[in-house]
Amino acid sequence: MDDDLLPPSLRARLRELRIGSRRISPLRGGGVHRSRDRGAGLEFSQYRGYEPGDEPRRIDWKLYARSDRFFVREAERDSPLTAWVLLDASASMAQADESRPQWTRLDAGKALAAAIAEVVVRQGDHIGLAVLRDGAMRLAPAAPGARQRDRVLLELHGVEARGVFPAGERLMPLWARIGADELVVFIGDCFDEACIALAERLAGARREVVVIQLLTVAERDFPFDDGRMFRDPETGDTLPGDGRALREGFLARFGDAQRALHARLDAAGIRHAVHVLDEPLERPLRQLFANDAEAAGA
Amino acid sequence: MNLVLLLPAALGALLALAIPLLIHLSRRQQYRPTVFAALRWLRASPKPRRRVRFDEWPLLLVRLLLLALIALWLARPVLHGAPDTTPWTVVAPGVPDGQVRQLAGNGEGELRWLAAGFPPLSQPAPASPQPVASLLRQLDAELPGGAALRVVVPERLSGLDGGPLQLSREVEWHVVPAGDVAPRQVEAAPRALVVRHAEGQEEAVRVLRAAVLALREPGGGEPAFEAAAVDEPLPGGMRRLAWIAPGPLPDAARRWIEDGGAALLGPGTGLELADAEWRAVWRDDDGTALVEEAALGRGRVLRLHRPLRPADMPQLLEPSFPHRLQALFEPPPMPTRAFAQDVAPVRIDVAWPAAPRALQPWLAVLVALLALLERWLATSPRRGGRA
Repeated sequence: MDDDLLPPSLRARLRELRIGSRRISPLRGGGVHRSRDRGAGLEFSQYRGYEPGDEPRRIDWKLYARSDRFFVREAERDSPLTAWVLLDASASMAQADESRPQWTRLDAGKALAAAIAEVVVRQGDHIGLAVLRDGAMRLAPAAPGARQRDRVLLELHGVEARGVFPAGERLMPLWARIGADELVVFIGDCFDEACIALAERLAGARREVVVIQLLTVAERDFPFDDGRMFRDPETGDTLPGDGRALREGFLARFGDAQRALHARLDAAGIRHAVHVLDEPLERPLRQLFANDAEAAGA
Repeated sequence: MNLVLLLPAALGALLALAIPLLIHLSRRQQYRPTVFAALRWLRASPKPRRRVRFDEWPLLLVRLLLLALIALWLARPVLHGAPDTTPWTVVAPGVPDGQVRQLAGNGEGELRWLAAGFPPLSQPAPASPQPVASLLRQLDAELPGGAALRVVVPERLSGLDGGPLQLSREVEWHVVPAGDVAPRQVEAAPRALVVRHAEGQEEAVRVLRAAVLALREPGGGEPAFEAAAVDEPLPGGMRRLAWIAPGPLPDAARRWIEDGGAALLGPGTGLELADAEWRAVWRDDDGTALVEEAALGRGRVLRLHRPLRPADMPQLLEPSFPHRLQALFEPPPMPTRAFAQDVAPVRIDVAWPAAPRALQPWLAVLVALLALLERWLATSPRRGGRA
């Protein structure tokens, strides 16, 4: 089933990929090193003397029997990553290019979501999925394990692009589920003000937000040479025109809009990458998470 | 070598070129629906650029070419200065069938009958006789200068005329022996003569009667001879009239002549003929005209300058007078038969303007090929069935 979502070439590249968060350290601005914060956990780190305030259950009673002193067992803090994939499935995501009409923006988004789920589950971390479409959303709450991965893939499989991006009250469940310092990967075309606003609010509320913007080749190159009746799939607006005559103006305005969007995302501290449908799928993942992999190796 | 259009007005048909242009243009006005999510960054161009564009260039070009060629075909193009030097062989009717078949089997170049329209040799022999000499001159004038001409004629050639065969080129004059052809029996023309005379002209009537009697065939019956006064109506079925009466010719007689008769008018007969050309057909030894001839309607008028009396016209007494009279009414035919050897064409230095070469047949072939190509392009499946 997931073979439909994940192209084999992308699956092969996933081995090298590691998805991490930059905010897992409690030391803000702590740099690239992972946390050595000690506390309760599975992996033993060291003993230290009891201090008032320590929980009595953390005292090593066997050691007390041998030495008649209170020692507290300390372990390396286990800090699992929780990653959320927010997939835009509004009607605009159904757009494909005329050169490759079977490969829609939504297909690319599903493949990227499946790849992230694959990597995150392999790392033993938690993965959650929210599909935003039709003025509402579907949630798969974050959980670890292969079953969760299959659940996410199943959820992805049934997604069809329809309707508009949800806004306002409809997004409240997200705030209830996504905790602080959790990683949020937003996948969509980012043409709606509502989705940019959501990303900014999430980032402003101490969530680590990453945006993968999906563009079609037509939006990058505007390759139309003849008379077209352009139709917006979400608003239904139409605009007739000759492709050659419109190209220059569109490319200029669209480029300005993209630069403005990237500036906004940068200002909000949101890392972002652009994926055009004719490019290799792993490029945005590498671009966004390569530093994490280096950090993991360090 | 230059191209000349014999009917340049037909190039007006080039206006039809607008039809395929319009057909290919009109389909261009539709807009293809395109889903485009980034519509908000599109602006309608303030001045929509309506560029004239056509779809399906190859088909359009073929259609334009086809119409242009049809217009050119209608304009009857000819090519000057590109002579067709195919050798011609013409066969006169009368050549034995065996020879004709042999020629048709292994001859080279154009093989034609020497007959009106020059039909190919594969067709049955045209009716004999043909105006051979006239046809040869026509062919010589029509063929380009460099084309060799070979003429196959029977031993005895008929269809000649009085003039010598003078052609602008060397002709291979090939005489083949032919079986004896029975000489054509000439129909004896009716020699009946109607005479209308006034009072006191009995002597002229006597002279005429004597001449007609002298022309009687040996063993033949009495030749029709009718003499009466001028007020007797003229009989139908007769073609010769002698009107020996002074005064103007009555309208009835004039109509009779115009209907195809030949009339000998006495010296005193008045006849008004507007712009008629009188030609002397009989002169005496001094060169004075005795009889003049002019055409009237479909008939002829012969005007006598002297009274038909031996005293005024001593020629009436000569033994040749009856034949003279006969010749006046019916000029003897020109000799048309001769031994082919004796009438071989002579080359003279005369340069006909070269006949231009018609391009219409080639254009017709080209048009047909283009029409096939157009249909093939228009119905080929890659056009998605839009024929």
